[in-house]
Formats: sequence, C-alpha cells, structure tokens
Amino acid sequence: MNDSVLTPPVKEYLLAFADDEHLMGQQHTEWIGVAPFLEEDMAFASIGQDELGHALMLYTLILECPSGIDTYVFNRKSEEWRSCQLVESTHRRWEEALIRHWCYDMAEDLRWELFSDSSLPELISISERALKEETYHRRHAEALVENLLMVPDSKLRLMNALEVVVPQVLGLFSPIPGEEEAISCGVVSGKYSDLLPIWRTRLEERFGVLDSGLFIQADNENRTQRHSDFDYLFGRIREVFLLDPKAVW
Amino acid sequence: MRVYEVFLKPDGKEEFRHAGSIEAATDELALVLARENYARRAEGTHMWLVNRENICVSEEGFIDSNLDKPHRHNDGERVARWRKLQRNKKNNE
Repeated sequence: MNDSVLTPPVKEYLLAFADDEHLMGQQHTEWIGVAPFLEEDMAFASIGQDELGHALMLYTLILECPSGIDTYVFNRKSEEWRSCQLVESTHRRWEEALIRHWCYDMAEDLRWELFSDSSLPELISISERALKEETYHRRHAEALVENLLMVPDSKLRLMNALEVVVPQVLGLFSPIPGEEEAISCGVVSGKYSDLLPIWRTRLEERFGVLDSGLFIQADNENRTQRHSDFDYLFGRIREVFLLDPKAVW
Repeated sequence: MRVYEVFLKPDGKEEFRHAGSIEAATDELALVLARENYARRAEGTHMWLVNRENICVSEEGFIDSNLDKPHRHNDGERVARWRKLQRNKKNNE
C-alpha cells in the first residue's frame, strides 16, 4: 500500500528520526541506578523507554518486517546510522543529561507535529501516540529545571551545561537526508530546520537570552558522520546481543 | 522535601488503592515522578497523591480496644444455621 511513498530517500529520512529516538532512549536508560535520586533514576529510565518505543514504531514502519528489526539495528555499520551528534555523545554530568532531556523533548513534539497530516496513515497514528507521551516528558523536564533554577549552585551548573548542549541541538535541526523527497510526497508537512526559531524561543523563555555564539551552525553537519562517543554507545547497545548473536529472544 | 502517598485506581469499579509513596519538592514534581514510578505500565486510570502531612493519623492503641470485645464479632454462622433449618422445615412440609 505504501510502496509508492516509502521510497529509499523517504526511508532514510524516517531513519534519522528512528535513530535519534533510539539513541536518546538508550542514553536516558543508562541513568538507571546512578541518577541523583531514586525517584528520578526510575523516571528518567522510564522516559527513555518511551523513546525506545517511538524508535520501534518507526523502525517497524521503515523495515516493513518487525522480525528483522533486531538484526538490522544490531548489525548496522556505523556509517549507516542517521542519528545526530546530540544523541550520540556521552554526557556523564547529570546537569548535562538533564539539559539534553529538556532540549531534546522541547524539540521532539515539533518534529512529530510535522506528521499530523502525513500521506502515510501509519505515521499519523504513530505521531498521535508519541505526542501524548511527550506532553509528560516535557512536564517532567520542566518541573525539574524550574526547581533547580531557583538554587544558585544548580542554576550555575545548568547554565554551564547549556553551553555544551545547545550547539549540539543545532545538529538535531540540521538538514535531514531525504527530507525534500519526504516533503514533496506529503509524508511530512515541512522542514524541521524551519522550526528552530520556535525551539530557541522556548529555550530563551526558560533560561533567559543566551550568548548568540551558541547558535552558530557548524559547516560540517553530521548525521552521516558519527560522534567520537558513538562506538562506546553502540558497544553498550550490543553488549548482550553479541554474547550470542544467533540466540532467539 | 515532602513525602506523598500514592493511590491508584484500576479501571472500572475498583476503588483507589495505596500503591506506595514518593518524595518530591513540589506537587508537580511529585506528579510527574509518581507517573513514571507507579503508573508507567498502565497500573491505573486515576492517581491521587496525598501529602503525608495532610493525613490524620490516630495515635498508637487508638483502635486496639476492639480486639477484646468478642460480643461485637459476628460471623453470621448462627443466623445462617437457623435460617437453613427453617428453610428445610418449610420444604419438608
């Protein structure tokens, strides 16, 4: 049914979103057991699992073969990933992980809303489901950040974390391979990068006006290039799988 | 920090039940954290959070005195036995 629309460029475009969701989910779940307090450790990993669920829905749509997802994800070469560097980089400081969660989830609903009128009916229902969960992800990030900004030491840490994370968010909004084809066949209603100003407004309403130097887009934009932390992250993802790649789960 | 008691209501006609507790700085933080800690697997359709400070707690021994009042305990056995007897009598008539 979708053969006419799900062309290789459109699949590559959707893959970028699936890979972002997958790696963001993986990064959040890495905090299980080590987040600053018990309740948050559970909550953060749970939110990560929601993101993994979004990735699973998108991979299923792209591959049209649910049983092949594990093999595809675990065996893919690093150059075949289309994730952005924001989700590939390791942030071991809690304040950076929290700021990344805030920044990513304040950008994610904008991305899903681009599918609300998609020519692919599956994408409409996937985005509706994801948007419901994203409401609570944003409330979670907002509630934590709002309270921490009231404590001088915490505020300083968060503001320093923004300097590390905000330049990486620009890569999230950078042009996505296959985007033009996806727009022309109605899979998506517009360019994600056009929504960057909305995200920046949200950011500066929350944290105040930031140094404009943080918003200078790097020339060599990523998605085809992996961050230097990718191999470590991919190793963590495949750790159990590689114990016995032929095992049936 | 405040401690909140978490209550969840499963779907349908079930009542709210105590699910556990959660520590948080504000009501909103308690809500978002309780959602992920206690309700992430569709454990309920409604959630109440009660600040523990707002719970009236009876002092130790306040309700213990009911234990030694056997005349208040009625398992209904004698009444049931009597009614069964009457029923059988009626059937035999």
